[in-house]
Amino acid sequence: MAFRVQRLPSSTPMIAFAARVIAVVLALLVTALILAVSGHDPVDLAGQVFSSSLLDSFGLQDLGVIFIPLMLTGLSVAVAQQIGAWNIGAEGQFYAGAFAATAIGLFVPAPEWLGLILMVIGGFAAGAIWILVPTLAKAYADVSELISTLLLNFVAALMVYYVATGPWHDRMTNSATPKVKAEIPEFWGAIHWGFPIAILFAIVLALVLSNTKWGYEVRLSGSNPSAAKYAGIPVRRHLITVMLLSGAIAGFAGMLEVAGTVHRLQGGISNNYGYIGIMVAVLARGSLVGVIFAGAFMAFIQNSGIILQTEGLTTSAVLAMTGLILFLTAIGEELSYYRITRDKV
Amino acid sequence: MDLITGLLTTAFLAGGVLALAAIGEVLAERVGVVNLGVEGLMAMGALTGIAAVTATHSPVLGFLAALAVGAIFGAVFAFATVMVKANQVLCGLALTLMGTGLAQTIGRSYSGMPAVATFEPIAIPLLSGIPIIGKAFFSQNILIYLIYLILPIGLSYLMFFTRHGMNMRAVGENPAAADAAGISVNKIRFMYVTAGAALAGGAGAYLTLAFVPSWSDGVIAGRGWIAVALVIFAGYRPGMAALSGLLFGLITALGFVGQARGWPIAPAFLSMLPYLGTLGFIIVPVIAWQKMRRAMAAPAALGEPYYRNVR
Repeated sequence: MAFRVQRLPSSTPMIAFAARVIAVVLALLVTALILAVSGHDPVDLAGQVFSSSLLDSFGLQDLGVIFIPLMLTGLSVAVAQQIGAWNIGAEGQFYAGAFAATAIGLFVPAPEWLGLILMVIGGFAAGAIWILVPTLAKAYADVSELISTLLLNFVAALMVYYVATGPWHDRMTNSATPKVKAEIPEFWGAIHWGFPIAILFAIVLALVLSNTKWGYEVRLSGSNPSAAKYAGIPVRRHLITVMLLSGAIAGFAGMLEVAGTVHRLQGGISNNYGYIGIMVAVLARGSLVGVIFAGAFMAFIQNSGIILQTEGLTTSAVLAMTGLILFLTAIGEELSYYRITRDKV
Repeated sequence: MDLITGLLTTAFLAGGVLALAAIGEVLAERVGVVNLGVEGLMAMGALTGIAAVTATHSPVLGFLAALAVGAIFGAVFAFATVMVKANQVLCGLALTLMGTGLAQTIGRSYSGMPAVATFEPIAIPLLSGIPIIGKAFFSQNILIYLIYLILPIGLSYLMFFTRHGMNMRAVGENPAAADAAGISVNKIRFMYVTAGAALAGGAGAYLTLAFVPSWSDGVIAGRGWIAVALVIFAGYRPGMAALSGLLFGLITALGFVGQARGWPIAPAFLSMLPYLGTLGFIIVPVIAWQKMRRAMAAPAALGEPYYRNVR
């Protein structure tokens, strides 16, 4: 009786999901081990995290507030993945959307409802503009979008930091702009209406991608560009549309953060949401509905980091753990293609 | 004259970080592996450098320790991407998040502390007397010669003039053919990815031991990503990687001069220059140098894991 290890051309969703669960559990175990070694009690900390985030109404509200930007940046990355592009620049597009929303909120005299509509348009547009150059460079000169989208993150962060501490700064705080006039109304507790809108947005996009001719062409262009081109599908046009859409979604997330949660622009407003969005999209394995659940999970991880700050842990520790989850997920994803079969004699 | 000497001196010093990291990335990409973890490796190297120099008061030991830490993290990355063949983009991003997060978590106790000992500039007799270049290049710390002379020349010779170098490049261009010719693809990939990661760690230590020289959370500031981009611009050649590092050092130096002389541009915009410059440098050559494209092209198997039993 002999066993044979085989790599199959595809992996089933069940096994891929199991691989992710194992990766996450392993990463949490490693983190717990490191915490234990450095003199903390991991079981006690985990208890604190659960009781003050999931079993507490205010904790759930905090979770929801973090969920909105994370789910949307995750959606942004997942949308780009549909056509085979990596949007590593959601962080920068988020900043750009927040920047545009603040500019409109501070300087455009309009009634609140009109101001909000203008901010939404501004957020979408700014995100799309921020990814425009990398998009055109990829579409027409085949320049890898990986680095070009990422470099603009630093430019956007510097730009926001500059206006928030410089020309637009509030006399009282010096490190942020004054409050924007228009505010998104609350939906439940501290959670604003961006919450249901973001979820609805993901579901509608998922339906469009799986049920329309456009969606089919986009998915085919992503999985096999040469076959799509041969079939007469305008691959380049779809690439441009989808990448701009991806940027616009991240910009929308930035707009919601300003108009719904923070109400002003400040340096570091994006909180690494753009980078963690990559993690969300990877956990969701490119499924736009999956992004909702992966976003909720990563919001829980992020929120745990904030809760544990009172215990002397930093947000950078959470960043490191996010990296570990991503690393183990990548390994798990690859291993999920393997099968162990028994040879029939 | 003083302006040019000053600019070049700063350019060599500032460019050294990017040049060293880019040379390391050339090694990894030449054997077919994209390592997007340079930013995280540099953060770990920068912290290791400052921690080791605080403990031993020896910058050389600090640099060596950073090389070792880079190599350890690089070996973990190489295990995942070369042995397991996991997605290189994801593993690289994960390495960046892990390295940055870990360095910031451990580095809190070193924050804002200047390095107790640094690589001091040494004037080389005779050569330092040459006008302009003498002051700008031959009166620098010893790492400068490693970065701009020893590594580029040594590695160029190794890669383009030896049998081993031919094997190494074959692994990046056509791993199946290399395998058929009896070259161990996994071994060569593992070796050079690890070596490249060690250099990235060293580049981080260069930052905290010779250039800045202290540790703070944002000390790497995207330099790892710029280094990855420079490799494309440098056409995957160690010598060109060192030169492009120098070119970026010059852009950084211009920003410094601008701030020192009070040019009417906000410092935030001067700080944007390297990122916008890098973006320009990866887009413009593709459009402008159509004829050069084949000579400067990426290794054919770049980013692709090699499975022996497929096909």
